[in-house]
This record gives sequence, C-alpha cells and structure tokens, in this order.
Amino acid sequence: MEQGFTMDQAVAEAARCLLCHDAPCSKDCPAGTDPATFIRKLRLRNLKGAAALIKENNVLGGVSSVVCPTCSLCQAGCTAEGLDRPIRIGQLQRFLVEWAWKTGFQPLCAGEPTGKKVAVIGAGPSGLTCAADLARAGHAVTIFEEKAEPGGMLRYAIPEHRLSLEFVRREIRDITDLGVEIRCGDGVGGREGLDALFARGYSAVYVATGAGQGIALDAPTRPADGLLDALDFLGIARDDPEAAAAMVNEKQVAVIGGGDTAMDAAVSAKLLGAADVYVLYRRSFTQMPAEARERDQALAVGVHIVLLTQPVDYLADGDRLTGVNAVRTRLGEADQSGRRRPVPVPGSEHVFEVDLVIEAIGMKPGPSASAMGVATDDSGCVVNTGPGGMTARDGVFAGGDAVRGPSLVAKAIGDGKAAAAAIAAQLAGGK
Amino acid sequence: MAFMRDLSIDFCGVRFENPVLLSSSPVSNTGEMVGRAFDAGFGGVVFKTIGMGDTKIIHPAPRMAGYDYDARKLVGLQNVEQISDRPFKDNLADLVYLKKNWPSKVLIASIMGFSKAEWRELAVACEGAGADMLELNFSCPQMAVEGAGMQVGQAFSLLEEYTAVVKDAVKIPVLAKMTPNITDINEPALYAKKGGADGISAINTVSAIVGVGLDDLIPRPNVGGVSAASGYSGPAVKPIGLRCVAQMAGNQELALPISGIGGIETWIDVVEYMLCGAATVQITTGVIHYGYRIIEDILEGMSYFLEEKGYASMSDLVGRSLPNIVTPDRFDHAHQGIAEYDMERCVGCGQCHIVCQDAGGQCLTWDADKRRPVMDEDRCLACMICSFVCPVSRPPMITFRQVPGKPPVLPEPAVQKG
Repeated sequence: MEQGFTMDQAVAEAARCLLCHDAPCSKDCPAGTDPATFIRKLRLRNLKGAAALIKENNVLGGVSSVVCPTCSLCQAGCTAEGLDRPIRIGQLQRFLVEWAWKTGFQPLCAGEPTGKKVAVIGAGPSGLTCAADLARAGHAVTIFEEKAEPGGMLRYAIPEHRLSLEFVRREIRDITDLGVEIRCGDGVGGREGLDALFARGYSAVYVATGAGQGIALDAPTRPADGLLDALDFLGIARDDPEAAAAMVNEKQVAVIGGGDTAMDAAVSAKLLGAADVYVLYRRSFTQMPAEARERDQALAVGVHIVLLTQPVDYLADGDRLTGVNAVRTRLGEADQSGRRRPVPVPGSEHVFEVDLVIEAIGMKPGPSASAMGVATDDSGCVVNTGPGGMTARDGVFAGGDAVRGPSLVAKAIGDGKAAAAAIAAQLAGGK
Repeated sequence: MAFMRDLSIDFCGVRFENPVLLSSSPVSNTGEMVGRAFDAGFGGVVFKTIGMGDTKIIHPAPRMAGYDYDARKLVGLQNVEQISDRPFKDNLADLVYLKKNWPSKVLIASIMGFSKAEWRELAVACEGAGADMLELNFSCPQMAVEGAGMQVGQAFSLLEEYTAVVKDAVKIPVLAKMTPNITDINEPALYAKKGGADGISAINTVSAIVGVGLDDLIPRPNVGGVSAASGYSGPAVKPIGLRCVAQMAGNQELALPISGIGGIETWIDVVEYMLCGAATVQITTGVIHYGYRIIEDILEGMSYFLEEKGYASMSDLVGRSLPNIVTPDRFDHAHQGIAEYDMERCVGCGQCHIVCQDAGGQCLTWDADKRRPVMDEDRCLACMICSFVCPVSRPPMITFRQVPGKPPVLPEPAVQKG
C-alpha cells in the first residue's frame, strides 16, 4: 500500500489549499465527505475537528480516501489547478483518518438506544455505512454477511498493494465500536430469510448485497483448468497470497478487460510473480474505463497492455487452457457509452499462448437479492421505488452496487447514508 | 561566476568591500566559523560579544526555539543565549587570527563589560587584537547578570557613561547597539551620541515568547521546565527593524551612521534597510536558517539591482526612501480609489469575496455560476485586503487604482431586519 502523508506533508499540502468560497471539491463527492471543510480545519490546526467531520460525513472516510478516483471526483474541479495542480485531497483525508487512529481519537459514538432493530444484508461499503449511521442514531443494527469477513469489495476485490487488509479491518472496527453486530457466514437466505427477520422484530432491512458476480466471456470453449474470474483470483490473492502466487508464478497470464478490476488483477498477477501479463482490451488506451493511475501503474510494473484485441475463444488441451484466440479490432462509430465501438477485422484471428486467463469483463449482482423477492431488472439490479432506496416491499430498502450495478465505492457509501436517513425517518415516524 | 558589481561602502570612516556583515551571535561565535563566512563573501563580522570572563557565562539548553507559520519554517527565532561563553583569551586569539588571514574584511569586536573598568579593558584588548571597530552591546535582552545587556540600553545615563569610557580608551570607531524594547529608540541613541559613539547598530532582538507547550504548559524554549521572555529575530521582526532604523536615520539631531539589523535574508531586505538609512547591515537568523551561502545571492542580487536601476554605488541607496516616510497627518485624503481586478487571471477561489464581506466594505458579490467576484466600485473602500489573500500575486492580480474625485466610502447603517 502506498505511503500516507506525514504531518509535515499534510500541513504543507493544506497550506496550498485556496479555501474556496464555494469549493468545487465539496460539491463533487458522492459520499458527501466535504473536503473543503476538513481541509480548512486542518489548515487552522483543528485536527480533531477535521477527523471528526470526515468520519461523521463518511464513516468509511479512510478506505474511500485510498480507493476513490479523486482525480475525477473531488480533485476534478479544484481551483488550485488554476495556479498549478489540484490539492491532493485523498491523501489529506487519509492522513486525518489515520491520525485519529494513531492518536486513539474516536469521534463517533452510538446514539441513545431507541429499542428499534434494523438488519443490513451485506457488509460491503454501502451496508457498513448504513449500519454505522443507524447505530449513531441509536438503532440496534445487525449486518448479515455471507462471506467469512466483512468489507465486500474492499475486503475481497481490491488488492493489497492498493488497500491493505489491516487498513480495511481498522476502519471496520470504527463501525463495530459503535455496537454494530456483524454476523459473517450468514447470508440470510431467500424470501423466507427476509420474512424471518421481520418476524424476529427487525423494523427495517437494508439490502446491500452488491454486484459481485463476474461476467464470463461468451466463448464456445471454456476449459475447467486455467480459466478464472478476476474476483475469484483477487479473493484468493487476499485470502492466501502464497496460493495465488503459486497459480501465476513464472507463468504467461492473460487478463481480459480494461477496467479497474482488470488492472487490479493484472498488477496483482505481475507482483505475485507472473512471467508476463497481457491485458487484452478490445478498444484503445483512452477508452479504458480503468482509472488513469491504475492504468499507469499497470504499465509501470511491466504489464503488457494489448489494445484493439478482442478475445473470441479459448484453446484447450483436454481440460487445460493453452491459449486465447483473438481478433484485431478497429474503432468504429461511437456507441451509447460515447466510446468508439470496436469492430473486428476479418481474417485477423491470432493466438496468445498463455497458461492462465483471468476474466475481468464485467460484474453484475448475484442472485441473493432477487431470491429475497425484491424486484430486480433484467441485469439483476434491485429496482428502487422511493427515496433513500425504498423498495416495493414495506420496510425494505436497497442501495449500492445491488441497485446500481458495479459502481464507485463513494456512491455505495452515499446510498448507505441516504438509506440510513430514510430508515431513521421511517422509524421515528413510529413505523 | 556570480555577477558582481563594486558593492563597497564607507561606514564610520572604514571601508567595507560590501555592506553585509555577520551580526554578533551564534553565527559569529568562533574564528573558524567567521573565516568560512569571509570566504563565502561576507564583508565583515561583528564577532560574538566578548566579556572578560570573570563572570561565568553558561548557555542554557536548549537555548533557541523556532517559530513556524503553516509549512514555513523559522518565520521567527527565539534565543536565550547570552554573550560568548568562551575564555577571553580564546576570543582575542580568534580576533588576531581573523585579522591576520582576512585583512581586507572588517573585523568588529562586540563587547560587554559589567563595570566601567571592564568596558575599558575589553575595548583596549580588542583594539590591540586587531579589531577595526567596536560594537558596544547595550541590548542583549536575556543577560542573567544584573545591570548588563538590555538593562543598560534602557538606563540612558549608564549607556552614555560606558560609551564615553570606551571612546576615551580607543582610537577605532565605536558603535552602540540598541534594543528595540523601548518606547522611542532615538532616546538611547542620542545618549550614545552624547557619550561619543560614532555609529548605531539596531535592532537587537525583540523580547518575546514564541509559544507555549500545550501539554507541559511551558513556554518555548523549555529550559528544564521553565522559559523566559527573550530575544526574537528573523523575518517576522524585519518591519520593526526597518521602522527603528528609519526613525533614527530621519532624526537630524542624531545624524549618525547606522548598521541595520533584523530579519535580513535576501538582497531585497538589504536594499530596503539601506533605503531606510542603514549604511551596513548585519545578519544572524538568515544564516541560522540557510547557512553562510546566502551571501552569494545577496551580493549577486544587489549587483543586478544596482545595474538595473542605474545606481553608481551602494552609498547612493542610503536613506533614499526617508523623504517618503511622513507622519499620517500629512496624508492627502483626496487620494481615493478602488481595488482593480485583472479578471482574466482570476482562478475563482472567492477568498476576496469572503474577506470583503467580513473585513472590508462588502463591495463584492459572488457570481456562483461563473465562480467569479463581481465588484460594486462605488462601495470599494480600497482597503486592499482582497489583494492580500488573493493567491494570484506575482504580479498581483488585484492592484490599487486611484480614482480622481472619488469620495471616501462610508458604510451605511444596518437595516432593521423583518
């Protein structure tokens, strides 16, 4: 994980801030973290106030400071760029959160107990945020998480070189310190499980089951050995780095896709000892959805980014994958995403001989939300019907990637905050 | 090779190859140190104040504390160090060593006696060791010895008496070093003149407390659990030094050459002191911050300045701004204007709007769509605080423009709410 700022660096960077009258940074944060105010507090040596503001606005202020694409969010409109370069807002935010951890300053506390119980399904960023805000309002919150450890994508998908497990666990402790109970290995189950929660006295449920199911390449040949989904690979790398290293060591690895997950998988594979890592991407460099810094890091560690290349099938020797069959593409007209569409070049079939393929083509919500009887659309995303993530079922709210499909952590946090506010309002109304 | 003009100047009848000296302080503590400063380019030294050694001097530990502002280090420096703690004979030996090896550099011995006899003996010994001039330390703010340092500078008859004793004992020129910790610095300076002083050095450090520890409640520096108000120096005190020098240089009755001291780091600081009436300048805190190497940029910067402005010599600068310093009753109140904005350079931070609302004339509104200030010129006080906070400042985006015939702006009474 990258080094955080020292106090000297933080003070120097805060001194660069122009303390804008109508700071663009604070308007552009989906999590509502309000950088303009915490930077002003830091500048005026109110460190506790600054750290408290971050945590009050965004209980996952630490992890979001690390994983947020700040260049395209808070830093995008930074006025200081008119002088030279934007303020490094993410680094300042991280410094303040870690400063609070280091000094033992916990600005949040649980609210006066209301006697009301709320269930949150899924311990990813959205569920954790919703739970923390409800606990601060005095509600008894239990998070049900089907995996062995809370954190969702933060825990299982973002690699150690970007966000350490220790960092994630430390920030989650801020939430459990509020009295939030996290029950791991308990995914609630389907509709019966949801009904049972209400029967057990839960007044409201927040469904934040995420979008953690990888989309597979539509290939006629899918070998059992040597083909992995990126989320599975990244999960193994988190849980058992030695096992992940054994999978890639000295091997030729291809990663399919051009998003952040593809970059995470490619960089992880390279850092874990792969001989060569090819990122196969069907459009060109500037169309890659990956954040620029992740893209640049992939290049910097020696990943080969192979552009205008569309995999169409896998080659196998029995069950064992031996290569990727790909075609060249040209860029045609823009599609509905605004990016130029890749058009296969006839007769350009060629083979990448590789030992392992990691698919990072896309993600979608798994079946758990729809199994609960919550209305979902064709892509498996929960359909909200009201503000704060209200669904058609009374007392059931939903947010984060389960609703949006794969999206930013900051947006999932924003959804969790909005849902907590809506649930608290509903509970205060006596329902 | 650095660009170099003739920067020499005459001060109290002594020729200086350039007007920049080390002041009497930790930076001029030993012959070895001063030798390196001479090699770096300083025109002279006021050697660390020498005492007879009969009264034991022990420096406290720690002896200094820095004053930082945001990320800027050492905007000011507090120092509780007293005069030299070295044996008298070692200091004399160093004077001999410096004069022998750097004969073209001006060697000024700073001295402090604790009796008339001591003042006389010190003066004679230092002259004998090769000092070109003497500087009488009447201004150290943290002497632990009763009736010494700043206490002399504040007791005018004593100051005059000691000056006269020294003048009577030596032939070389004598400077009296003044404390700013006094109501009117001209008063002691005139007593020094009565005692026969050939010139004045000013300012010594400003008595101050740079800060207090919030855990131990002990001001800084924390000297074994306590602290003391003591000498504050560095860029933060430069405006006070300039004022004191200008006050003395503009005093017809005093009419003595002045060696300016206080917060000098760059050639610009040197030029400003000279424009306010100093003929030489002395530096300590700038060296404590950056080392002797700053002299290269001071000399080169001054050389380019003389060249660019067409001044024939350094002495042309001395006191040149004094006619432009008046008392406030002589201001022309018909001279009104506005803060003029070069909006093409505006980056849109809105700090001008905030300070105009809360500290100025409320003449700026904020265009939230364009993220730019909008000015009502009729309400502008021309107080210019907006220009002080504007980050687009080199050259300034906001400047004063005179508006002939504009009446002074008087803010209106509050309108009853509701």
